[in-house]
Amino acid sequence: MDLTFTEDEHHFRAEARAYLLDKVPARIREAVYEEKPLPRAWMVEAQQILNAAGYAVPHWPVAWGGRDWSAVKRAILAEEIDRCAVPKPLAFNVALVGPVIAAFGSEAQRRRFLAPIANLDLWFCQGFSEPEAGSDLAALKTSAVRDGDVYRVSGQKIWTTYAHEADWIFCLVRTDAGGRKQQGISFLLIDMASPGITVRPIATIDGYHHVNEVYFDGVAVPAENLVGEEGRGWDYAKYLLGQERTSMGNVGFSRRRLDRVRALAAETAGEHRQLIDDPAFRRRLTLAEIELKALEILQMRVVASAGDPAVGADPKTSILKIKGGEMLQLAAALLLDTLGPEALTAGVAATGDNADFQGLDARSALLSAYFSSRKYSIFGGSSEIQRTILAKTVLGLGRQA
Amino acid sequence: MNFDPSEEQRLLADAVGKLLEAHAAVPRDPGKVWRDYADLGLLALPFPSQLGGLGGGPETIMLVMEAYGRSLADAPYLQSILLAGRVLALAGAAESLAPLLSGERRAALCLYEPGARYRWDTPTSSATRTQQGWTVRGHKLAVLDAPGVDMLLWPAATADGLGLFLVPVRTPGLTLDARPTPDGRPAADVQLADITLPADAAICPPGQSRAILAEAIDGATAALCSEAIGAMEALLAITIDYLGVRHQFGAALGSFQALQHRAADMLVAIEQARSITIFAISRLDAPAGQRHVAVAAAKALVNRSARFVGSEAIQLHGGMGLAAEYPAGRYFQRLTVIETLLGDTEHLLSEVERGGGLAI
Repeated sequence: MDLTFTEDEHHFRAEARAYLLDKVPARIREAVYEEKPLPRAWMVEAQQILNAAGYAVPHWPVAWGGRDWSAVKRAILAEEIDRCAVPKPLAFNVALVGPVIAAFGSEAQRRRFLAPIANLDLWFCQGFSEPEAGSDLAALKTSAVRDGDVYRVSGQKIWTTYAHEADWIFCLVRTDAGGRKQQGISFLLIDMASPGITVRPIATIDGYHHVNEVYFDGVAVPAENLVGEEGRGWDYAKYLLGQERTSMGNVGFSRRRLDRVRALAAETAGEHRQLIDDPAFRRRLTLAEIELKALEILQMRVVASAGDPAVGADPKTSILKIKGGEMLQLAAALLLDTLGPEALTAGVAATGDNADFQGLDARSALLSAYFSSRKYSIFGGSSEIQRTILAKTVLGLGRQA
Repeated sequence: MNFDPSEEQRLLADAVGKLLEAHAAVPRDPGKVWRDYADLGLLALPFPSQLGGLGGGPETIMLVMEAYGRSLADAPYLQSILLAGRVLALAGAAESLAPLLSGERRAALCLYEPGARYRWDTPTSSATRTQQGWTVRGHKLAVLDAPGVDMLLWPAATADGLGLFLVPVRTPGLTLDARPTPDGRPAADVQLADITLPADAAICPPGQSRAILAEAIDGATAALCSEAIGAMEALLAITIDYLGVRHQFGAALGSFQALQHRAADMLVAIEQARSITIFAISRLDAPAGQRHVAVAAAKALVNRSARFVGSEAIQLHGGMGLAAEYPAGRYFQRLTVIETLLGDTEHLLSEVERGGGLAI
């Protein structure tokens, strides 16, 4: 047992922090700190700075740009990226589609896609959820019918984050409607410029544009864009969800939010004193900081015991997902509560996508973060799905006695 | 970072687990139980070799205390070894420590006084120097294991600051009002009516008493967190078993999602408690202020987890959870005692805040 970080790990953290603060422009870090929606170009700029140091895809195979760093180091890096208010590498690229192409893609696909995915020269979005397939993902209906050298894809995806910014979309599609619903699903890469694709924004309560509906109307997708074997898409999706878990708890992000709560509460005058000196407010912050410290250690425990990703996720990652989401929500609520009556005028002006930060300023972005944070207990397997996984997989409940 | 026990730690944890399970299965004479602890090396475990100890670190104590909690053990290990023994070791009182290590004698640390809640460093107990030695008077509350020990460690105000006195329980003028804890262990309120002690009863210079006590209490508090984790784990396992065998409406209770999710939340609470305890243990070598904040933070969260896991377990058992002969209720009682021992939640959260919080 060695319950503390090694010298080497401390050194790695310091080195990463120094690089991030030195290389990533302050305008980007300030915008992230204030939780403003970033312009696409800034996200690309930031990821390319990370990629130059091997920080974008350290968990990938070394042959494709990965680094042979321990999972603990990768978790430290993920924490530092968040704490330094650097945009995270685009998860759809580096955590989701990249590892699937590396593991199951053809040699031609790896050569074509992996380097641009790591460097965000190609931006991928994720076509999984459908109007009738949310938590029950395998109920998806978007169809892909083989027609000579192409698949003809028709159907609708929903909640597609950044579909309006993306160059490509990776989709789960149904290539066979017979058999169990998990069978007959395939994994396709689709160029967003293909004729027959329509992207429609979904207005959300957080006041900026990030999610969309994506319609496919007989879209011709070259058969060479099938990843792996036809009909095995469900296995690849499960593999993908068992991938990089070193930042599942979002520890650095919550830490950054709580540090900001402290800073804001120290400059905000409450009834008769600064908000930070209000015992009830202080107690909520104290509890949040303690829970977050526990989560930080839990994250390291999951990471340090991480086995082969091919066997799927450690069920304890479900705890990280539940608590990580709760912490971000709790921290966002504390941020909101630092505002007091100023929250009343923290709405978003209807200026549209093209204004700076989509029209959000430091105050409205804070409310936006509060509303937006509800998503953390919903996407990627809702907290209820995670509890069911814990009950069944870890506790063994629900089996026939 | 590496959270796996070493081979040596694993072997010890197995041996301790087996011994304590055997103790739990058949009630035994407390003297025999204590000799078993001594034979396995548990009494000498936490002390440095120059004091006759085995040099086991806090991670090893964590494993021992988890086993202790799992089996609802009731020997005075926390009091006699982790509190009183540790104080004597830190004070360099090797002669007084030796009989505790061998198991010949047992001791208990008296911390609380009427109306002072968890504040132990400003006692109204007082000691005055006399020609023969000391006269000590005072009143201490809720001393766990006091009825079964040979000696009490008694903090008292002296003219030179906080003093610490070793008081044999058979000293004339000492009265012991035995009262059981809510989980059925012996405890007592103790009064000293101007008792006379020899000069060497003062076991450390007044200038050091506070720091020594604080260090021993923090270490024992981390160990108590581990006891709670062992007890919560066992209680969750008992609850899961019950959900599997109890049928209502033609189905095992465990097949109902409302109950599955409550059990999952118990697991989440236990893993959070385990994580913050690991953090506290990793900070036991830190400067006193940081050490204390980490330990107080840990026990505050462990306390909250203990109350949640305990009360959820009773609810999931239904009426059976209230039956005294069924184990779930006994674990809930133990967890409730742990919650109030060495600091309740609000006290500890205040300590975290007084120390500047965890933001580092």
